[in-house]
Amino acid sequence: MTVVGLRLGLLALFLAIWEIAGRKVNPLLGVPPSAVLPSLRDLLLLRSYPDLPASLWLTIREIGTAYALAVAAGLGCGFVLGMHRLVGRAWGPMLAALYAVPAVVWYPSLMLFFGLDAASKIAFGFLLGFFPIALAVLAGIRQVNPQLVVVARAYGAGTATVFRRVMLPAMLFTLVGGLRTGLVLCVIGVVVGEILGSKAGMGALINHAYGLLRTGDYVALVLVTLVLVVGSDVLASLLERRARRWTE
Amino acid sequence: MSARPELITIEGVTKRYLTSSGPVDALHDVSLSVEEGAFCTLIGPSGCGKSTLLGMLGGLVTPDRGRLLVDGRPVTGPDPRRVATVFQEAGLFPWRTTLQNVEFGLELQGVPAERRRQTAAELLGPLGLSGFAEKYPRELSGGMKQRVAIGRALALDAKILLMDEPFGALDEQTRLLMGEWLLDIWRRTRKTVIFVTHSLHEALFLSTRVAVMTARPGRIKTALDLTMEYPRAMESSEMVALRAKLWSEIREESLRAMR
Amino acid sequence: MRVRILQIVTVIAALGVWEVVARMGWVDPLFVPAPSAVAPALLKIGRGALAGLADTLGKTAVAYVLSVVLGVSAGVAVGSIRLLREVLSPYVIAFYGIPKILVLPWIVLLLGYGTTPAVFYGVLHGFFPIMVLVMGAVRDVDRTLVAVARSLGATTWQLYWKVLLPAIVPSVLGGMRLGVVFCLLGVLVVEMFAGVRGMGHVLGSYANGFQAPELFAATALVSAASIAIVLALDHLNDRLSRWRG
Ligand SMILES: Nc1ncnc2c1ncn2[C@@H]1O[C@H](COP(=O)(O)OP(=O)(O)O)[C@@H](O)[C@H]1O
Ligand SMILES: [Mg+2]
Repeated sequence: MTVVGLRLGLLALFLAIWEIAGRKVNPLLGVPPSAVLPSLRDLLLLRSYPDLPASLWLTIREIGTAYALAVAAGLGCGFVLGMHRLVGRAWGPMLAALYAVPAVVWYPSLMLFFGLDAASKIAFGFLLGFFPIALAVLAGIRQVNPQLVVVARAYGAGTATVFRRVMLPAMLFTLVGGLRTGLVLCVIGVVVGEILGSKAGMGALINHAYGLLRTGDYVALVLVTLVLVVGSDVLASLLERRARRWTE
Repeated sequence: MSARPELITIEGVTKRYLTSSGPVDALHDVSLSVEEGAFCTLIGPSGCGKSTLLGMLGGLVTPDRGRLLVDGRPVTGPDPRRVATVFQEAGLFPWRTTLQNVEFGLELQGVPAERRRQTAAELLGPLGLSGFAEKYPRELSGGMKQRVAIGRALALDAKILLMDEPFGALDEQTRLLMGEWLLDIWRRTRKTVIFVTHSLHEALFLSTRVAVMTARPGRIKTALDLTMEYPRAMESSEMVALRAKLWSEIREESLRAMR
Repeated sequence: MRVRILQIVTVIAALGVWEVVARMGWVDPLFVPAPSAVAPALLKIGRGALAGLADTLGKTAVAYVLSVVLGVSAGVAVGSIRLLREVLSPYVIAFYGIPKILVLPWIVLLLGYGTTPAVFYGVLHGFFPIMVLVMGAVRDVDRTLVAVARSLGATTWQLYWKVLLPAIVPSVLGGMRLGVVFCLLGVLVVEMFAGVRGMGHVLGSYANGFQAPELFAATALVSAASIAIVLALDHLNDRLSRWRG
């Protein structure tokens, strides 16, 4: 109870300091919260950016496409690597090494190849989402107790049954975690891509507001994008919980 | 024996923990006194507050009511010069060698490096750890780890040694040997020991006094004084009878605790 | 052994396929140059790219040191004080999870172009993962170790120095491994978004100038540098953990 109170108090204090400091220093750059509210209203009433729904929808579609591709490729690649011991042992560390490269270095190449439109954002979102999913499958397969597989086989289970009854439940925890991280990274990839260079989508709107120093609008657009980000993670965590219940 | 002065006095001690699932009455009106040089064993069902009582004597837990006197002075906090504690998990610092673990308490007290090294090194012999001074805990067996923990407590040379199920995690053979070893250490150092165990054998083999506690909220149900000579012949008819008596007392409480 | 061979074969095969595909004109060499065209480009961009890399790595190093120092201190402080931990942890997690790219325009507005926003943004990326990791490690320090030290009369100061800090060393090392990539990422993003120097800027301008071979060469250069740094940290980590067991 007191903890919740302190949390809220801290938030209020933070906003108050921001408000006062923002006004004092430079209302344009400081963007005090009170300046954001009218901008947010205008934005949501489609006065300042009438193409908000279209932009939002474009960004969502980019995310959806990128994620679908990342899931398909990540699962496929992960299972191929996981099932073949030698291939997995050789490629696993290579995948992990690539993971050690800050992904944004690939983005200029993608932009060059796919252009400034949606395709480059989808490609980048895909790239970010792919790795955690593939690595989670690999880790998940490694988690399956080989003893259990032997026991199941001894009881006459076929490959499909072993997979469904033994492997999947054992690795689900890790797998679903990877799928969730993958979604978060897909979203981030698309948004990063849009902000680093685009003609449409939420990132383009944000850049537009920033370029014209419409800082109130900028913050309002960021808040709307945040709703998208947080929403997708909430969705993923709900699915995660469903999947857990399904295994039990 | 009863001519000796009381070293530890526990009077009407009560403790209630407030947890997220409601209050837990751990101890209710516990009184006990222990003479200097005694080996007093606390025995009772799990969760009856034995660790809590030891924690109070060690100054780690404060009672809600009642008072605890050590050497006539109330306990207000950890006082390693008078009371040393050995926990159920050895709790060795994995980044320290055997020697460094043993000298840890002296280090905290600001004893100069030279002197604390010497004190610790002298302890290793009786601990049976002579060849293991430079080993890290992961290189030691369970029994050795527990001996290092006991050594760490002995290093400060406190009068009172609190031991909370120190052999609980060991296998039975190791446990029996550790019991013999502890008896030897105790008789040589003449410490006052308060010892928690679930083992009837340990209680009867080691103690001058056994206090049986009730199921939660813990109280002292009965206290037996044992006057037999050491080392004790566990198969003697006297011991067998005592064992049966002790078991019937404990059995009742354990059954209640299980319900 | 077989693993190594397969890895080498994989790399050669990938390069080979790529070369063939590019030579046959199945992809536009304007966008995807053949490896044989990238290699000379690597020599051509040599000095300029190396200067850019040095600039980027310099900013990353500053950001990294700040991230580690601040992240570990904050993690220890918040992790070890229960009230602080309970009040702050949702905010910490939130800041950790939020895509930091959204505040980038604002940072550039406030801090301008150049080194300061890059270092700041790098710290923003490196700080939170390290702090979250350390915070968790401090919270999960074996309670028995703390009880032992307290029963032996440890002061608060001694509890931190002799128990808490040594106990979290593995997590700190793990956080340092994680943090460096995040710092580099942050610095590169700023350089791409509003850079005048550094590897991010170099990459961005090659892309805008449609200089594909140079772009690929520069990308390979940064990637190699990043992998080298991480492998070096891993190696160091291994050495340290073998030494302390
Ligand atoms: N720090 C604590 N917070 C809440 N409850 C506790 C705490 N310590 C012990 N308890 C509870 O108090 C009771 C007695 O615990 P303890 O003294 O450890 O018993 P024993 O050592 O006899 O098994 C148990 O029910 C335990 O769950
Ligand atoms: Mg206990």
